[in-house]
Amino acid sequence: MRRFYPLIPVLLLYLVLYVIGSEVRGMWQPMALLAFYAALGQAFNIFLGMTGYVDFGYVAFLALGSYGMALSVSSLYESPWLGEGIILIGLLLGLAMAAVLSLAVGAIALRLRGAYFAIATIGVNEGFRYLIEGVKLWGGSEGIIISRPLREAFGAAGANQLSTFWADTLIYLIAALAALITLLYMRSKISYALTALREDEDAAKVMGVHTTKYKIIAFITSAALGGLIGAAGWTLKLTYVFPADVFNITYTVEAIVIVLLGGAGTLLGPLSGGLIYAALKYWLSVTFPGLQLLILAPIILLIIVAFPQGLIGVLKAKVKGTPLEKVIV
Amino acid sequence: MALLKLENVTKRFGGLTAVDRVSLEIAHGEAIGIVGPNGSGKTTLFNIISGVYPPDEGRVFFEGEDITRLPPYKRTHLGIGRTFQIPRPFSAATVRENVAIGAMFGTLSGNVRVDEALEIADRYLKLTGFYEQRDKISGKLTPVEKKMMEIARALAMRPKLLLLDESMAGMPPKDIDGMIKFLKKVKEEEGIAIVSMVEHIMRAVAGFAQRVVVMHQGRKLLEAPTAEALSDSRVVDIYLGRPSEEAEDAESRRS
Amino acid sequence: MPLFWSMLLGNLIHGVLLGSVYGMMTMGLSFIFGVLRIVNVGHGAFIMVGAYIALWMFLLFGLPPLASIPLAAATGMALGFIFFYTVIRRLVGTPELTTLLATFAIGILLEEVAKFLWGPDFRGFNWLVGKWILPVTTIPLNKIYALIASIAIAIALYVWFRKARSGMAIRSVMEDSEGARVCGVNVEGIYALSFAIGIGLTVLGGTLLTLFIPVGINPYMGGIYTLKAFVIAVLGGLISPWGAFYAGFIFGLIENGSYTLLGLIPGIEPFSMTQFLAFFLLLVILLLRPTGLLGARA
Repeated sequence: MRRFYPLIPVLLLYLVLYVIGSEVRGMWQPMALLAFYAALGQAFNIFLGMTGYVDFGYVAFLALGSYGMALSVSSLYESPWLGEGIILIGLLLGLAMAAVLSLAVGAIALRLRGAYFAIATIGVNEGFRYLIEGVKLWGGSEGIIISRPLREAFGAAGANQLSTFWADTLIYLIAALAALITLLYMRSKISYALTALREDEDAAKVMGVHTTKYKIIAFITSAALGGLIGAAGWTLKLTYVFPADVFNITYTVEAIVIVLLGGAGTLLGPLSGGLIYAALKYWLSVTFPGLQLLILAPIILLIIVAFPQGLIGVLKAKVKGTPLEKVIV
Repeated sequence: MALLKLENVTKRFGGLTAVDRVSLEIAHGEAIGIVGPNGSGKTTLFNIISGVYPPDEGRVFFEGEDITRLPPYKRTHLGIGRTFQIPRPFSAATVRENVAIGAMFGTLSGNVRVDEALEIADRYLKLTGFYEQRDKISGKLTPVEKKMMEIARALAMRPKLLLLDESMAGMPPKDIDGMIKFLKKVKEEEGIAIVSMVEHIMRAVAGFAQRVVVMHQGRKLLEAPTAEALSDSRVVDIYLGRPSEEAEDAESRRS
Repeated sequence: MPLFWSMLLGNLIHGVLLGSVYGMMTMGLSFIFGVLRIVNVGHGAFIMVGAYIALWMFLLFGLPPLASIPLAAATGMALGFIFFYTVIRRLVGTPELTTLLATFAIGILLEEVAKFLWGPDFRGFNWLVGKWILPVTTIPLNKIYALIASIAIAIALYVWFRKARSGMAIRSVMEDSEGARVCGVNVEGIYALSFAIGIGLTVLGGTLLTLFIPVGINPYMGGIYTLKAFVIAVLGGLISPWGAFYAGFIFGLIENGSYTLLGLIPGIEPFSMTQFLAFFLLLVILLLRPTGLLGARA
C-alpha cells in the first residue's frame, strides 16, 4: 500500500480543481480545461515518457474514441431500455476502437525506430482521416452530430447535463485513472523493461527483455486512455465529431509539449505540465487573443533547449536524498 | 551433449566474410578463451551466438536445440548471457536497477518478480563488490566500473554460458589477476561455462582458459589446450603480422 | 483518342510537371535528414515562406516568381543559419523527440509570425505567360518554366555536391561524421551549412510552387506539403536529396493519375482518397523498403 503514496497528492489536486470548478462562479470550464490537458498529458506519457518513442499520430486514438461515442449514441439512442447505458457503451466502444487501432498500428510501426516510427505514425493519423473522408465512412467529412439523438434520448435538460456536467466530470475520473495506471506501471516489472528499452533497445533485447511485448503494452494503454478522453472530452461535451477537428495534429503536439514541459516518464510531470500549459493557454487566449501560439512557440523552443528534462525532472534531481524523493515521482 | 555447438557458421557483410565456416563445441562448465587480432571475427561470432543477427550459413545449437534463428531475448531464457566490448549500461538507471534488469528478464525461469530480482541483484552486487555503489547512476561510472557492472548484470541472469567480450581491456595487471580469480570462483560456484574473448591480453587467457581457440581472418586457425596454443608459431606469426604457412595455404585455397 | 485516355494522359503530363516542383520542395528535407539526422517537421512552414516571397515580389515589384528564386534561396539560407545557431546546434545528438518538437515549434513560430504580419486570409496573384497547346491538354508555360528551373537547380546542386570542396566535405560528414572530424573537417560548420542549404532549397521550392498554384497562399498552407514531403522523402530513401527529386516525379504522377482514376468511382471522394493512398504508400514503403523505392544512397 505504501507504494501508492505518490498518488495521494495527485488525487488531492484533482479534487481541489474539481471543487474550485463547482463552487467558484465561472471556473467550471477553465478547471475542466486544466483537467483535460492533465489527462491528455498523463495518457500520452505512458507511451512517450516510458518508451521514448514519439507517436506523432497519437491524436488518432482520441479521434477513434470520439467516433466510438458518436456511433454508440447515434445508433442506440432510440432503444428504450438502454438509457444511460449508451453513454457507457460509447465510452467502452471508444476505448475498444482506439485499442484495436493501436494494435494494428503497433504491429506495423513498432518495428521501426526513431524518426521512421514518428513518420509512420503521422502517416497513420492522416491516412485514417483521409480514409474516413474518402470513402465517406461514418459521415465522411461531415462527421456525426449527436445533439439531437441526445435530446431525444434524455430530454433537453438531461442532454445538457450530460454535455456540461458529466462529460467534464468523466475527464477528471479518466485523469485519475491515468495517474493510477501510470503509478502501477512505474512500480512494476513493466517500468524496468521500458527503462531498459528506452536507454538501449538492442542491449535490452540481449538482456532478455521482450521489447516488442512491452512496447505494445505501453502503446495500447496509452491509446485506450486516449480513446476514453476523446469519447468523453470531445464528443460527449461538444456533441459532434468532425474528422478535420478530431484528427488535428495540434493536439498531439500539445501532448508532447505537456509531457516534455513537465518531465517525461514521471508521474507528476505530465500532470504539472498539463496544468501549466492549460493555464498558460487560457490566460494567453484572454489577454492576447489570437496570439497564443505566437507566444507559446518560442517558449516551447526555450524549454526544449534549456530544460529537456522538464520541470519535474529538475525537481527530482533537487530532492534526491531527501524524504520528498518518495513523493516527487 | 555439448552446451554450445557451432556448425560451419558463416557470416558475410557485403563483400567481407567476417566469420568463415567456424565450428566449435563448448562443454558445460568449461573455460574457453577466444583470441585473435582485431578483425578476426570474434565479435561477430559472439553476436551470432547471442542472437544479434543470424548467420548466413551454418547452425547454432544450445543443449541440443537449434537456436540459429531464435531472437536474442529468448536465448537469455535458455541461459546465454553476455557483456559488450564497449559497455552498454542502461545509463539513466542505477547500478542496482541495471543488475536487477538482468535478473528479472534474463533468467532460465524468465518470470522473476521485481522484489526477487532486486534480491538476486544485491547478491551479485555483493559478489562483485559493487554493493556500496548500488544506487549510483550507472552512466556516471568509470569505463572499468561499467565493464565490471556488466559482468554482475550478466551473472544475475544466472546463465549457463557467459560470453565475456573484451571484459578486461583497459584494466591494470593486478585488476586482471583479481578478475581471473573472480571468474574462476564464479565458474566453480555457479557452474557456468565461460567464454572469454580477448584480443591480446595473454595473461588473462593463460591464467584462466583451459582451451584456446585462435581466430584469424574469420576462420578458426587452431584450437588447443592453452599452453600449446599460445606457444604455437602460427599464433605468434599472426600477431606479429608475419604471414604464416597455414594462412597462406588458406589464401591460395580461397582464390 | 477516346476522352478517358486523353484525360489521363493530360493528367499524367501535369503530374510530371508538378512532380518536378514536388521533388524540389522535398530535397531540402532529405538533405537535412541525410546530414544531420533531423526530421524537419516544420518543413511546410518554410514552403509557405517561399510562397509569400513570390507573392510580395510580384505584387510590390512586379517580379515574376522565377526572378524571385535567388531571393528565396538567400532568405532560406539566412533563416537556416539563424535557426541552426539559435536552436538546432544545441540539439544535435539529442533524442529524436527534442529535435522533432523543436522543428515543429519553429514551424509554428513562422506560421504565427506570418499570420501576425499578413493576416490569415488567402491571397494569390496571376502571372500569365501564355500556354502551350497540345492535342491532349493545354500546358500553361509557367509550369514548363518551373520544370526547367527545377531540373537546372537540381543539376547545379549535384555538380556542386560532387566537385566543390564544401560539397565533398558534406559528403564526408554524411558518411561518417567522426571520421570527417578527424580529417580536419569543421563538422559543426558543415552541419550549419547543410541545414541552411536544406532550408534554402525548401523556401525556393515554395517559390516554385507558386508557378503552379499562385493562389491559396496563407500562413497555414504548409501543413499539407509537409505531409506530402514526408511521403516523397521516404519514397526517395529519406537520406538522399537526389532520391527525393526522382521520387517527386513519381509522386506527382501517382497523385494526378490516381485523382483521375478515383474520380471515376462513385461514392468516393477523390481528393481525400488520393491523400489516403499517399499515406498508405508511405506505410508500405516504410515497412518493406525503408531505404526507399529507389534504394538511393548519397
